[in-house]
Amino acid sequence: MSSHAGPTGHRPEPDDAEVGRRFAAGEEQALAWAYERFAGQVHGMAVRAFGPGPDAEDVTQQTFISAWTGRAGYRPEQGPLPAWLVGVCRHKIADTWARRDRQRRTAEAAVAQAQSAPATAGPLVDSAVADRVLLLGELDLLGQPQRGIIELAFFEDLTHAQIAARTGLPLGTVKSHIRRTLERLRTRLEVDDAALHA
Amino acid sequence: MPHCTPETLALAALREPLPAVDDAHLAGCARCQAEVASLQRGVDALAVPQLAAPGPAVPPPPAVWSAIAAATGVTATPRPDVVAAAVPAAPVAPPPVPPPPLPPPPAPATVTTLRPRRSRLLLAAAAALVVGAGIGAGAVALGDRDDDGLTVAAAALDPLEESGASGEARVLERGDGTRTLRLDLTAADLEDGFYEVWLIDEAVEDMYSLGVVQGGGEVTLEVPPGVDLTEFPVVDVSVEPLDGDPVHSGVSVARGVLA
Ligand SMILES: [Zn+2]
Repeated sequence: MSSHAGPTGHRPEPDDAEVGRRFAAGEEQALAWAYERFAGQVHGMAVRAFGPGPDAEDVTQQTFISAWTGRAGYRPEQGPLPAWLVGVCRHKIADTWARRDRQRRTAEAAVAQAQSAPATAGPLVDSAVADRVLLLGELDLLGQPQRGIIELAFFEDLTHAQIAARTGLPLGTVKSHIRRTLERLRTRLEVDDAALHA
Repeated sequence: MPHCTPETLALAALREPLPAVDDAHLAGCARCQAEVASLQRGVDALAVPQLAAPGPAVPPPPAVWSAIAAATGVTATPRPDVVAAAVPAAPVAPPPVPPPPLPPPPAPATVTTLRPRRSRLLLAAAAALVVGAGIGAGAVALGDRDDDGLTVAAAALDPLEESGASGEARVLERGDGTRTLRLDLTAADLEDGFYEVWLIDEAVEDMYSLGVVQGGGEVTLEVPPGVDLTEFPVVDVSVEPLDGDPVHSGVSVARGVLA
């Protein structure tokens, strides 16, 4: 072991924040470090959504590929890299649900056609599946602190009082951000509904 | 009674418990119910367990990295044994910290614990939002001795947002090992409610109430025996409404970190 050896005998490794900065800068080793540190978390989410197997593996793979090719969209000052990777993973999970939904409808339509039955018996689209893809995109457009607040409410299941205690923001500020964000998501859905039925 | 406020209806859409008066109104008001329902579509789409903050880590099989390397052309490789171990590096998702041992709290203090976290992943993101914590510590000299013992830790309390409140806290240890927190708070008088002093952990999840303090006065509060101040280093002053609810209101006016 050399004198500067760490626990694994390698040179000291950068902390997560440094890995995030190097990732954003396009340093290839940073992708490998990010994978070592966060792939388990990302894959854990994918397995929770789809069970172990090809769908989950595809989500994990697509998450890291998209994160790397889209690294220009990662802003280290806006939050840590693992939180951003988790956000990318949410998109991949929602995309996979949407793809499965399209496949299911295509298959049903084929069956219906073979049976000469009307192909539009059910709703054209599972609306929750479509809503998710749309609304995750809308969350990406939120600035801070709105985004952090609504993510704590949606994904960590915290109450507004807990969010206020956690962030140090006044209770009233947290409540009004929650209100405005939910309104914004509602508007996004209404615009989309109008476009579908135009 | 009047309709619920827009903010209250948003909390209802998140299925937070509401004050009884709002609950009662909502149960009988079609207009407020419709508003909640229209806000809830977004909540129902996104607040699902599959999209929640990560739970247990699962190491992906080696083929996943091979596909990533092939698609990106990246030649640096993660060490397979490190990936297989899937031990998340701190501070991504350390195992949940067990709640601190509950020492017998001195009356009138109460011990409140927020809901256990699922993950610290987003907590790290939230940490970027914390305002005011962690600055100004150390303005008080340690080691000063006075009648109540030796100053073992101190914090300058800085205002949160535009509260205008500030103060200074010191922990004094007596010869028998018992400790007190002496707080000198400068804050506006409250018409309704009172200021309450808390010791909180750095994740802002678990906390001890030390007692009540007036703005513009010095107060000495007992620190519960057994509370590790390195685990609960944040001194927080909250505004508590007169609602009989012992839980932290979420409204803090001043905060500092013991050093
Ligand atoms: Zn109403």
